[in-house]
Amino acid sequence: MKARLHAVAVALLLVVSGCSAGSTASVSAGPDTLSVGFTAEPANFDFTRTDGAAIPQALLYNVYEGLVKLDADGHVVPLLAKSWTISPDRRTYDFQLQSNVRFSNGAPFTAEDVKFSLMRVKTNWTISIKAAMDVVDHVDVVAPDHARVVLSKPSNGWLFSLTSRLGAMFSPTGVADLANKPIGTGPYEVASRRRGDSIVLKANPAYWGRKPAYTTVVLKYIKDPTALNNALLSNGIDVISAITAPDSLPQFQGDDRFTVVQGTSNSEVTLAMNNARPPLNDVRVRQALTYAIDRKALLDTAWAGRGTLIGSMVPPTDPWYEDLSQVYPFDPAKARQLLAGMNLNLRMRIPNLPYAIAAAQVVQSQLADVGVRTTIEPLDFPAVWLKQVFTDHDYDLSIIQHVEARDITTFGKPKYYWGYDSKRVQQLLADADSGTPEQQVAAMKQVARQINADAAADWLFLFPNVIVAKAKVGGFVQNQVSESFDLTGLALR
Amino acid sequence: MTVKVLRRLAILLVSVLVASIVVFLFMAVLPGDPAQVALGVNATPELLAKTRAEFGVDRPLLTQYLDWIGGVLRGDFGRSYVTRETIGPQLLDRLGVTLWLVGAGMLVALVIAIPAGTFAAVRHRKPSGAGVSGLSQIGVAIPAFLAGIILVQIFAVQLRWLPSGGWTPPEQDFGEFARGLVLPALSLGLVQGAVLTRYVRSAVLDTLGQDYLRTARSKGLRPGQALVRHGLRNASVPVVTVLGLQLATLLIGAVVVERVFVLPGLGSMLLDAVSARDLLTVQGIVLVLVVGVLLVNFVVDVLYTVLDPRLRGS
Amino acid sequence: MRSLKIGGFLIGLVVLAALLSFVWTPFDPVKVDAAHRLLGFSGSHWFGTDKFGRDVLSQLMVGARTTLYVGVVAVGIAAVIGTPLGILAGMSPRWLGEFVMRVNDLVLAFPALLLAIMFGAVFGADTLTAMVAIGIATIPSFARIARSGTLQVMSTEFVLAARAGGRSRPTIAARHVLPNIAGLLIVQASVSFAIAVLAEAALSFLGFGTRPPTPSWGRMLQESQELLTVHPRLALVPGIAIAVAVLGFNLLGDGLRDRLDPRLAARV
Repeated sequence: MKARLHAVAVALLLVVSGCSAGSTASVSAGPDTLSVGFTAEPANFDFTRTDGAAIPQALLYNVYEGLVKLDADGHVVPLLAKSWTISPDRRTYDFQLQSNVRFSNGAPFTAEDVKFSLMRVKTNWTISIKAAMDVVDHVDVVAPDHARVVLSKPSNGWLFSLTSRLGAMFSPTGVADLANKPIGTGPYEVASRRRGDSIVLKANPAYWGRKPAYTTVVLKYIKDPTALNNALLSNGIDVISAITAPDSLPQFQGDDRFTVVQGTSNSEVTLAMNNARPPLNDVRVRQALTYAIDRKALLDTAWAGRGTLIGSMVPPTDPWYEDLSQVYPFDPAKARQLLAGMNLNLRMRIPNLPYAIAAAQVVQSQLADVGVRTTIEPLDFPAVWLKQVFTDHDYDLSIIQHVEARDITTFGKPKYYWGYDSKRVQQLLADADSGTPEQQVAAMKQVARQINADAAADWLFLFPNVIVAKAKVGGFVQNQVSESFDLTGLALR
Repeated sequence: MTVKVLRRLAILLVSVLVASIVVFLFMAVLPGDPAQVALGVNATPELLAKTRAEFGVDRPLLTQYLDWIGGVLRGDFGRSYVTRETIGPQLLDRLGVTLWLVGAGMLVALVIAIPAGTFAAVRHRKPSGAGVSGLSQIGVAIPAFLAGIILVQIFAVQLRWLPSGGWTPPEQDFGEFARGLVLPALSLGLVQGAVLTRYVRSAVLDTLGQDYLRTARSKGLRPGQALVRHGLRNASVPVVTVLGLQLATLLIGAVVVERVFVLPGLGSMLLDAVSARDLLTVQGIVLVLVVGVLLVNFVVDVLYTVLDPRLRGS
Repeated sequence: MRSLKIGGFLIGLVVLAALLSFVWTPFDPVKVDAAHRLLGFSGSHWFGTDKFGRDVLSQLMVGARTTLYVGVVAVGIAAVIGTPLGILAGMSPRWLGEFVMRVNDLVLAFPALLLAIMFGAVFGADTLTAMVAIGIATIPSFARIARSGTLQVMSTEFVLAARAGGRSRPTIAARHVLPNIAGLLIVQASVSFAIAVLAEAALSFLGFGTRPPTPSWGRMLQESQELLTVHPRLALVPGIAIAVAVLGFNLLGDGLRDRLDPRLAARV
């Protein structure tokens, strides 16, 4: 009997070890290796066809580069384009390219690739933001290191969009399997991936620019915020790219082994109100809800006071930022007055993410104080929330982080899930895009004020960018202004 | 007896078939359009329709089922709508991780339960025995994930003796692999050990009073020898049965422990796939889990008849 | 005997807390109070407050409701469906009994957590789906116990006599079988209750259980995770509550089992 059990056990072990043989990632820790923890894992490596922030977070600026990039203050600075000039009618951009740039598969980078990449957005990309490239009329290859882009009309937003994934440069020889094999010009290339665990980036030996300090970077994906913290505390990783449990920060701040870097981001945690449906199609109701919510208390309880109070869909790093957070001070009496006689019962359909669940409970409690009843319905994110709230607009209230840069422009789309339709805002946005940079700033300020006045949504707070790292690691981008977690500047302090 | 085994095998196969149909039908009812999830928000209706055709989800249910089950029998679990990767290899990989976890947990449980249960049975009238029995009662009441959370706090965060999570394949670095498995296995094993202790205790108690033990002792065997040679073998019958029953509970515990310790196992794969409405992957995982339980029950059934000659005749 | 008393006492505590919560709790468990977040043990907040400023003791009391609710409904479903099924299987011709048991085994192959996750994905995850899923997953245990008990009773002299006397099946079931297996079923109910409590805690921990802001011990545990190093009390309190409830039901079940089977009691 014992022998039989023994045999079974051995057989089982063989099966199991056979099962694990398919592992891929092989990392040796060392002084040149950095391990960075993230929560959301990329579904694949193709951000031209797959939505979601996780892919460009890992690949943009690190593996893929564009003509330009954003620095920590939100300014557009050169990258693959050494310099550029804009014609007086603001429709023609001449880019002077860096020399001696190669893709990670050896192919040289020339103006032909600029043309290929930009035109490809219109024909091959399927994600929604590709519309930003529609304004490109054609691209001329003036010389191998000189590309000329002609727009059909002036657009301030176009150059800015080049700093996002939209501007990533591809080689015709490198697009065969974007989902699994990304080929870019960046300082790193993807060495291997273990799904559910990590992605390993290795330094690209043929990189044209300054060599990164870390030759190997392991991106570790740990969904659970506590497990992420524990990984840093127990020496499993070196950096937490974004803290999602801010109440746990005190344990890092008091500890000499770690540093905490906090800055702003582009992510507005927004209480969306369905403008297209009663009762929230009534501006007084929306304003009432905005008066009823004590955003300072909400930030303090839901997100440990970390974050910035904003009054509109604009982060402080945008040129047209104004502090509108006090336009609707906390005033439950006024809220009750505006809601007099109404017996509201609203569905708050939120993604089942920690910040949303926390904020929702506070909102519910505060709205209950002014007589508004709400039910919280957590929905799987992204699958169910995207379909039911975002596409079908089946909601009264929702709470979600809007992470894209300059996403205030969504208030110019009547079909967007806000359901907000203001001809004035639409006109202002068009003027802002086609005007001079000064006109852009003035018009955008007007837009921000208008949507605030209309209480088109309630901007609960600006999500903070909080990075926790081992004390010896430095060079972090303090304000998260781009889609990328920029590894290129990291170094030992 | 062979006839019995064959009959059981036939029942197993039929059960597996029925289970696969149930799983498939259930997935067919899940809300959420796979094409929408894969393509994101602003996909045009034409593109959505084209993708649906590409995935094959616009065909009649029977065709989809036969296609799927035919593939599974050949080892092909299809291609995920969300990640665009083939499901089979990843399933196998993750299954390996879960099996290691469950195996290690079971080992810890047995290592705890056999001595503790025997001790508690032999000394059941003394305070020490009652103490062990009481401890096991408390152990049963603690959820595995609570044990995990506490263990992580103490051994990983405060003492930093062991990693707080993550997975290293054994062939890559056996040391790291073993270190990473200690806390998760303990979390599962301590609780399971408590459960098993109680069964071992009652099984040993049962046999302690039996005649053949007294016969063995009268033949001159010392109590210890009598216990080991005759008592334990007979006590193993109910324990084996319980092991099988407990497998379902262990699997559950494993899902939650995988979350706490960030192990890339089948449990976390299932949760991710459900969240992402990755239908095909969920189907595959559920099928594997259910078939696994059926298989284990089958094995336990057969072992039971083998171990207990009294049952062979019935 | 001791098991019965201790178990009964522990369960009594839980039931008392739940019942009391309908009439009075020290504070409103749901109201957010930014000024009083993360307070420790104190005179006004016996177990302190959580990160929303909500009183932990009040949440514990209302959470007891959820725990008992889940247990009662899950065990109720399992008993109400599983018992007749088992009795039927025990009283029917051999092949039918076998068939029912095979179906039983099939249901057994879907562990409670798996069913709850699947149900949650289809119907939306909340307390109700969790309860129903756990209930369905517990049916096989009741059916098995009922069947084996029925088989035993069917072979006793009373029943043989009744059948010889021409009594109908349902009468026999009601008059002889049910009273005799009732004890076994109650023991099973106690054990299943404990399992249901653990299952609900696990589900809430994973995010598939009770929806916020309804207090639930499992969700309290999950919310306490990120603060574990700084405020371990927030995890210990619900954790101990869960352990107390599970321990109570297990002890109760053990005590009842000992009561029912005098042979065992003598030995233990």
